[in-house]
Amino acid sequence: MSWGKYILGALIIAALVHFAAIFAAPRVIMNVAIERIGAAGMNTWHISERVTAESRQIVRPSPDFAYSACVFDLSNGPVVITATPWDDYWSLSLYAANSDNFFVIDDREAHYGAEITLVQRGAAHPEGASMIIESPSTRGIALIRRLAPTPGTYDAAKVVAAEDACDSAARPVG
Amino acid sequence: MLRRILAWTAAVIAGVTLGLASAWAVLQFGGSAFTERYGNWVHSRAAGSSAADPYTRAIIARAGLLALSAREAVYFSLDQDEHGRPLSESCIYELRGRPFDARWWSVTLYADDNFLVQNSDRAHSVDASRASNDAPWAIRISPVRGDATHWLSSREARRGFIVMLRVYNPQRDFRPSEQSLPVLTTVSCAGEPA
Repeated sequence: MSWGKYILGALIIAALVHFAAIFAAPRVIMNVAIERIGAAGMNTWHISERVTAESRQIVRPSPDFAYSACVFDLSNGPVVITATPWDDYWSLSLYAANSDNFFVIDDREAHYGAEITLVQRGAAHPEGASMIIESPSTRGIALIRRLAPTPGTYDAAKVVAAEDACDSAARPVG
Repeated sequence: MLRRILAWTAAVIAGVTLGLASAWAVLQFGGSAFTERYGNWVHSRAAGSSAADPYTRAIIARAGLLALSAREAVYFSLDQDEHGRPLSESCIYELRGRPFDARWWSVTLYADDNFLVQNSDRAHSVDASRASNDAPWAIRISPVRGDATHWLSSREARRGFIVMLRVYNPQRDFRPSEQSLPVLTTVSCAGEPA
């Protein structure tokens, strides 16, 4: 009995499994975050409580920020995302389903806040939208960070964050 | 026939095991390929960088999911004193820094499980808005505040805690170096002569 073909077979299988696992890992990790944040609803902002010693969802949380997260879902068409301005550092970051950070804007560029229309890559661009961003995936996560290092500034940031929008553009108005 | 089936079964099991183990090893240890050291400060370029290939992407997703891009923030961590010993609650340290070529900075203390320390001192973090980004600053890291102006509480942090520096909106010419990053000095340790 020749062992060569079995060893070769095992090595080919090992290489395929290795590449499949490397390819899948970021998507699986991101999917856990999408499911966790999106459990309470998609295309809507979730404003996090102030980070304390009890905050144990994501490693190394910063207690100096007020975080808002929105799981966007473009399967029913574009999603309009707005970020209300904040008088200190803030940024809006968009992450695709494979975990890539495909867009970021901060208060240096968007002094008066940001309004973007998010469309699936390759889909038709809606007319009249001021800033159109193409998403490489149907689902992903939008994250707004506002610098708010004290309980007082955190409470103020929470009030501002309530004005942010993350809405399906297809939703009927009225 | 039976021997061939058994041999192929063994080959498949060995292949799958080897494939998964090697992928795990890449995720577990591959992060060090993105690590730069400045004195005892460790900077990981993996957090928040944009993925060029599937390996980079997998390592980033594990090490810094939803992290900010390097244009927005750069992260440095410190887990040992100037003698190479793990940071300990039984010691008093002083961290001295100078202004950064950046808009804002913060220093946060995490327990060895990467979460904020379980104490009620509300002294987990010091940032530029409380200290300064115009003049040199000093932060005391100790279990009790004493007369410190800026204090990070290490109460209940036990041994092996981590100090993390975040530098936000670094200038285009921001180049970290051992000289430009804050310096940690051990003031005293319980049970040891000062």
